[in-house]
Amino acid sequence: MKIHPRYYPAIIIAAYVVFLLIGFLLGFLPERGGEGYGGSASMQLACSTLGIPT
Amino acid sequence: MTTPKPFTLAKSRRAIQWMVVVGTLVIGLRHIMPGEASRGGSFDSFCAFGGIETILPYLFTGHTLKSTNLLNFSVLLATLGVALVAGRAFCGWLCGLGAIQDFVAEWTRKLFGEKRHIRGRQSKTILPLRLPPAVDRPLRYAKYFVLAAILITSLYMVFPPLREFCPVRAVFGLKMTTLLWITLVVFLAGSMLVERFWCKYLCPLGAALAVFNKISPARLVMDHHHCNNCGRCDIECSMGIADVPHQLDHPECVRCMECLDTCAREGSLTLQIGYKENQI
Repeated sequence: MKIHPRYYPAIIIAAYVVFLLIGFLLGFLPERGGEGYGGSASMQLACSTLGIPT
Repeated sequence: MTTPKPFTLAKSRRAIQWMVVVGTLVIGLRHIMPGEASRGGSFDSFCAFGGIETILPYLFTGHTLKSTNLLNFSVLLATLGVALVAGRAFCGWLCGLGAIQDFVAEWTRKLFGEKRHIRGRQSKTILPLRLPPAVDRPLRYAKYFVLAAILITSLYMVFPPLREFCPVRAVFGLKMTTLLWITLVVFLAGSMLVERFWCKYLCPLGAALAVFNKISPARLVMDHHHCNNCGRCDIECSMGIADVPHQLDHPECVRCMECLDTCAREGSLTLQIGYKENQI
């Protein structure tokens, strides 16, 4: 399907925002302090289901 | 009554690149404000590549490397999302370093005497150079080694492996160390010497995204009936891809769409969504 080049920047930005929001919904949220660490609940659940130690 | 100026992707891209640069500088500035560093994570946590650097330690230990946090995974996911839809468009449109390299290349041409850039016409300035293929081609593989080295060393590190040499921190971080000053000088000198020097030879994020150019649905299609191989798109390609019309899903392409903007024959290159052949 042909698309007008005018919409290309909007497609890129929309993809970025949508997937960023998906990341937030998965629990990958900013943390205070800047020293890293932490475990997203959904990731921990996925890891425990797959048998990956966390 | 004035007629509206025609739409060009180059102008939109430049506007978005400026927004990215200013936005990243604001994040950097915020982190040198007293007391601000402790709010909302470190500067590194806004980096997509930080997500790659910390993913293996996170999977094996359940903890991210220091100075990164879970936000890195969201930013990485967003970058991969753009790559899934439009290949390396992140590099061409949304990367702060890519933007700085484009600006430096433009300013370098002006510094060396180019008054006005005419689209599709080879610049006569000495810099930025185009390295001969015999040198350029092997060097392009360096970024894949950088990526592999970083992934391996990340398992043994406390901080992200690239952190002390990270050009994003050097350009936007505003908290400089001796190593970051050296990185900044090398990065700027490299960008003056060779257009998109970092993207071509060293960027590990670009290496990770390269494969998506082959599978992303938003792509350019070349029509043989219209294209006369004039070479204007080759001249404008900042990644130095040879024979652009026949290399539209090349792993080095950053999907900046300068080729589409430069093309003088309507219908030669069209933007499409779908998985058809990219030559008709």
